[in-house]
Amino acid sequence: MNAKGNAATQKQAAMVFDLNKCMGCQTCSVACKTLWTRAEGQEYQWWCTVNTLPGRGHPRDWESMGGGYADDVPQAGRRPARQEWGGGWDFNYDEVLHSGKGQSVHLQVVGEQPEWGPNWDEDQGAGEYPNSYFFYLPRLCNHCTKPACVEACPRGAMSKREEDGIVLRDESRCRGYQFCLEACPYKKIYFNFAREVSEHCILCYPRLEQNVAPSCVRGCPGRAVWFGLLDDETSPVHKLVKKWEVALPLHPEYGTEPNVFYIPPILPARLNEANDFEEGQPRVPTEYLESLFGPRVRPALETLSREMESTRSGGKSELMDTLIAYWWKDMFKPFDQDPGEIEWSRTPGGQPGQGAG
Amino acid sequence: MEAIKLQLANRTLLKHSSPQWKRAPLQDVALQATDTETQPSPYVRAVWAGKRVGAVPTISVQAAYNRQNLFFRLEWPDPTHDADYGDGLVFPDAAAVLFPGDGDPPLARMGSPKAGIDAWYWRANRDEGESLAFHGFATEEPQAAQFVVTSADWEDGRWRVVIGGPVDVATDHKRVAFAVWEGSNQERAGLHSYSPQWQELSIG
Repeated sequence: MNAKGNAATQKQAAMVFDLNKCMGCQTCSVACKTLWTRAEGQEYQWWCTVNTLPGRGHPRDWESMGGGYADDVPQAGRRPARQEWGGGWDFNYDEVLHSGKGQSVHLQVVGEQPEWGPNWDEDQGAGEYPNSYFFYLPRLCNHCTKPACVEACPRGAMSKREEDGIVLRDESRCRGYQFCLEACPYKKIYFNFAREVSEHCILCYPRLEQNVAPSCVRGCPGRAVWFGLLDDETSPVHKLVKKWEVALPLHPEYGTEPNVFYIPPILPARLNEANDFEEGQPRVPTEYLESLFGPRVRPALETLSREMESTRSGGKSELMDTLIAYWWKDMFKPFDQDPGEIEWSRTPGGQPGQGAG
Repeated sequence: MEAIKLQLANRTLLKHSSPQWKRAPLQDVALQATDTETQPSPYVRAVWAGKRVGAVPTISVQAAYNRQNLFFRLEWPDPTHDADYGDGLVFPDAAAVLFPGDGDPPLARMGSPKAGIDAWYWRANRDEGESLAFHGFATEEPQAAQFVVTSADWEDGRWRVVIGGPVDVATDHKRVAFAVWEGSNQERAGLHSYSPQWQELSIG
C-alpha cells in the first residue's frame, strides 16, 4: 500500500475535538482560511468549518448527499451546488466606506442574495425552552483510512501518504472531474472553479514535516483539539481514541474510517416543570448523538460520567487530566515546534507562508 | 472521411459560419457510449452501472485544409448549453478529434498503455484547444507541442465547433475518429460517446 488507499498506512495522523469545550469561535476556521485558501477560486472554500448541531451544516444538508461505502461497495454521491456551499460573496464595502453613505446604507452582499453559507444556522439548535440545546461541530477532511475520494479518482491523482496517512492530491494529475467530491461522504472537498482542480485540507503537511501542529490545532484558544499519531501510545490522541474509547468518528456508517474523532457533548440534564434538573435525563437526546457518532456513544458517555464522578469525589483520573489539558503543548506533542522559530520558504504561487498560528 | 482543400485563411476556416464550409462534404458519424464496466475507477463502475452514458448519438462532420492546417467542423444538436461548470452540477461540453498514435489503439477504451490516441481536444469553457495523448480512459496528458486551435458557437440548440491542427500531423496519422462529452449528462473522463471505428482520412 498505499497508492489505492484501501488499507491502513504505517502511521496515521489523527485529531480529537472535545465538543464539550468547543465554543464555536471559528478561530480554527479562520486560521486555516488565512493560511491556505486566500487565492482566486478559493473564496468560498473553508477547509475547516464549525457548525451548530442540530443543524443542516455546510454544505447545506451534506449528510443527505451520499458517497462513502456500504459493505465496501462505493455509494453514489452528489456534488454540492454552489448555492449549497454559499460563501465567497462580494460586499458593498466601497459604498459603505467611501461613498459618504455610511449612515444610510448598510453592509450587504452585492448581487444575488445568499440563501446559505458556511455558518448559516449558527446557534439555532433544537428543543423547546428551557430544554433547548445545541453544540458545535468542527469539521475538516477526515484523512480517512479508506478514503473514498482516492479510490474514485480515475486518474490516480489522489493518494494516502504512507508516513502519516494524509490524503493528498497531485494537482498536476487532477483534471477537475470531481469524482472525489461525489465519493466523499463528508463533502469536504471543494472544486476550484478558477483553476479547474479540486482542493481539500492537506492537514498542514508542510508544518507537520517541521514538527509544527496543524494551524487549526495550534489556533484553538479553547484547548478543545488534540493532534498526534494514532498509534503513538504517548499521544493524547491515542489515549482518547484507543485506550479510553471516548473519542468517536463522525458517521462511522459511511464506511471510510475517518481519523478525526469527537468527544460527545454532555449538556446539563433536562429541567422539569419545577425547574429542577432531572439527572439521568440528558438534554441532548442520546439517540441523536448515536445518529452522529454511532453505537459506541453510550459506552463513551458512561466512561466520561464515571471518570467525572471519580474526580468529583477526590479521585485521580488520567482521562479527566487529559481532557482538561493542563499543558497546552502536551495536546499535540511531538508536533510542538513553535512555527515562529522556523524560517519558512514561500511558495511561488503566492500562497502565504506557513508561519501563521 | 474526406477532407477537401480550400485555399482560405486559417481564420476563415476556423469560423464555422464561413460560407465556404458548404463546399466540404458532410458526413454523419454515429457515436456509441463508452462502457461503464471497464472504467478505471471502482466508484465510477459501481455508480454508473446501468446509467445512460453517451447522450450525443451522432455528429455531423466536415473536414477541410489549407496549406498549413486541417480543420474539422463538428455539429450536433444539444438542448443544454454547458459552457462552463454552471452552479457546480454540470460539466462543460467537450469534443475531440482522435488520431491513432502507435499501432491500433482501441477506441472503446480510449487507447491502451501500449497503443495511444492523440486527441485534438475542445472544451466549451476554454478558448484554446489542447493536444492530448490518451493511453486508456481518463489518462490524458497534454502533449509537449500544443498546436490545436478551436472555435465554437452554441445557437438554437446546436453546437457548431471547429477544431484544427497542422495538416502534416493529421496526414501522418492517416485515420481519424471522434468523441463527445455531454456536460449536462455528467460526462467527463472516460464517460463519453465515441465513433467506434477508425475511418481512413483522405486528404486531397
